[in-house]
Amino acid sequence: MLIIKNIHASVEEKEILKGINLSVEPGELHAIMGRNGSGKSTLANIITGRDNFIVTKGSITYNGNNLLDMATEDRALAGIFMSFQYPVAIPGVNNAYFLRAALNAKLKHHGKSEINAADFMRLMREKVKSVNLDESYLSRAVNDGFSGGEKKRNEILQMLTLEPELSILDETDSGLDIDALKTIAEGVNNFRNKNRSFLAITHYQRLLQYMHPDYVHVLIDGKIVKSGDIELANQLEKKGYSWLES
Amino acid sequence: MKQFQKQFDDLLAYWPNEDPELRQLRLKAFDQFKNMGLPTKQWEDWQFTDFSSLEKSNYRLSHTKDFPQLPIKIAEHIPDSNLIVIINGHYQSDLSDIPDSISVATGLDYLKSNKDLDHKNSNPFTALNTSMMNSGLSVTIDSNVILEKPIQVIYAMMDISDPIMNHPRFVFQIGYNSQATIIEHYIGSTDMPYFINPVSNIIINNNSVLNHFRIEEEGALASHIASSNYSLGSDTQLNTVSISSGSKLFRHNINLNFNDKGGNASLNGLSTIRNDQHHDQNIIINHSHNTCQSHQLFKYILSDSSSGVFNGKVVVQEGTKHTDADQKNKNLLLSPKAIMNSNPQLEIYSEDVKCSHGSTTGQIDLEALFYLQSRGISKAKAIELIINGFAKEIIEQINNQGVKTYINTKVTNWLESVLIDV
Repeated sequence: MLIIKNIHASVEEKEILKGINLSVEPGELHAIMGRNGSGKSTLANIITGRDNFIVTKGSITYNGNNLLDMATEDRALAGIFMSFQYPVAIPGVNNAYFLRAALNAKLKHHGKSEINAADFMRLMREKVKSVNLDESYLSRAVNDGFSGGEKKRNEILQMLTLEPELSILDETDSGLDIDALKTIAEGVNNFRNKNRSFLAITHYQRLLQYMHPDYVHVLIDGKIVKSGDIELANQLEKKGYSWLES
Repeated sequence: MKQFQKQFDDLLAYWPNEDPELRQLRLKAFDQFKNMGLPTKQWEDWQFTDFSSLEKSNYRLSHTKDFPQLPIKIAEHIPDSNLIVIINGHYQSDLSDIPDSISVATGLDYLKSNKDLDHKNSNPFTALNTSMMNSGLSVTIDSNVILEKPIQVIYAMMDISDPIMNHPRFVFQIGYNSQATIIEHYIGSTDMPYFINPVSNIIINNNSVLNHFRIEEEGALASHIASSNYSLGSDTQLNTVSISSGSKLFRHNINLNFNDKGGNASLNGLSTIRNDQHHDQNIIINHSHNTCQSHQLFKYILSDSSSGVFNGKVVVQEGTKHTDADQKNKNLLLSPKAIMNSNPQLEIYSEDVKCSHGSTTGQIDLEALFYLQSRGISKAKAIELIINGFAKEIIEQINNQGVKTYINTKVTNWLESVLIDV
């Protein structure tokens, strides 16, 4: 589904990714672990197509299409979603209005008719419950005045509404207390099925205890230095990252 | 200056039997205007705006032959409001609908009966207005009246064949313990250059509430130079929203005086401009009584080579207690050629104050744009959402549904037309 081959990428002419290879199949959850600055977020950003991240070498295909040639919105329409590490506040843009615009863009892309406001609100009332957010958040501006935890729940709410094939969870656990973490992990777990894949980017194995990854990859200095299963994450928890550094 | 002198002489000749007091007022004001001259770059509060086009354009005063063919319907009529229509400077009784609960005086009647009203000529344009007042309107709302419907005053320019000018004088007077909504609405459906120089004096007596919405949709080549002078009694509430999108040259002076304790004023503005439009707003709020509040929020959205000026000043006089004042100016540049000059100022001579001011000018937030695109929303739609969101903070201040809907549609249409060109 997602095939990353020998990706090298730079930000402001500094090489961050130095040859990443990764293949994600339908239904799999891959965890990418690493310290700050190891290139985890850069990987997420080049998959979603952020402007200032430049791919200098390698390829990424998604369902056989060259992902790097696609605009950010087209990647989203093709089924890729990112839960942001730092979701931006957009004053004046109503959360429900924005999310309906996003859902309608997707429905239209798939040749389906758009959802009307009433049906959408019915859908939303059901979805907000599953991430433990109050309905009032729907009528507020996108992430405006939201706490860190509320922002992350809002990200997951969007994921549950847009139903992407591939979800990238960029440090979704950071800044969350244990209850919020459980809510989010539960939301993700209920959403998992044989067609939906995940890339969970994280510092700690804490999130992974609740999410049960199929694969764990360790990223150091722009390269995947070791891959394994949840046991690798447990080892990292005990020993830290230094034993993997050359 | 020669052209203004000629027009002034013509006006005096046109009304030879005018009330002598009014005549004196005009003569004195015209002298003041001549002494001051038009503002130049050396005038601190006027330095970012070039007024030289006003002298070059040879505007003549509107007269009776400019009386228009009446349009059947005014498209800009906001539903559920009482309409007062002035076209090319001439009051249109057939199109107006004045409720019994208000008193309206128009034209020369107004000028005669109101000559003793505050005619401050603090700048050349108010002096010019006093000297050449050729149309006017006073709306008086009695004490203990709650007006249910807004009053919409439409001042329209249409079907003109040469560059004309008008110097309308408005007085909106609210009695004690009353509530009203007034929409002061300028429209221009002509490509001819023209010059409108209105002065509005707004007096709110004790315990009253006024919502004042000012909408400026002049023609593309118009010059609109306006002064709005507010005078607030004790325990009054004033909410203003000024929307400006028309005219090539726009300057609005807002002067607000708290004349007693407990006044509360919220002043908001949104300018949406493009091409080579220039919009300049100058606001002076004078806190000279205790426990008064003023809140300002002015936003500009600038496209193409347009330019904007925001000059805001809050003065808190010595010995004034419990003042709460804030002043914000936020600007969104949609083009690298657009320019904004912003200068919020506080002049505080008292210690018992809570004051803040701030100004931000920037382009579309690329983080927000990426976020929306990452959800599958096209770049064009994402830009539209962000700009609409920026404008919304002002539109939300409009507490009348009819006006809000009208402005929302106008802003959305403006945005669509601007974004098509991007």
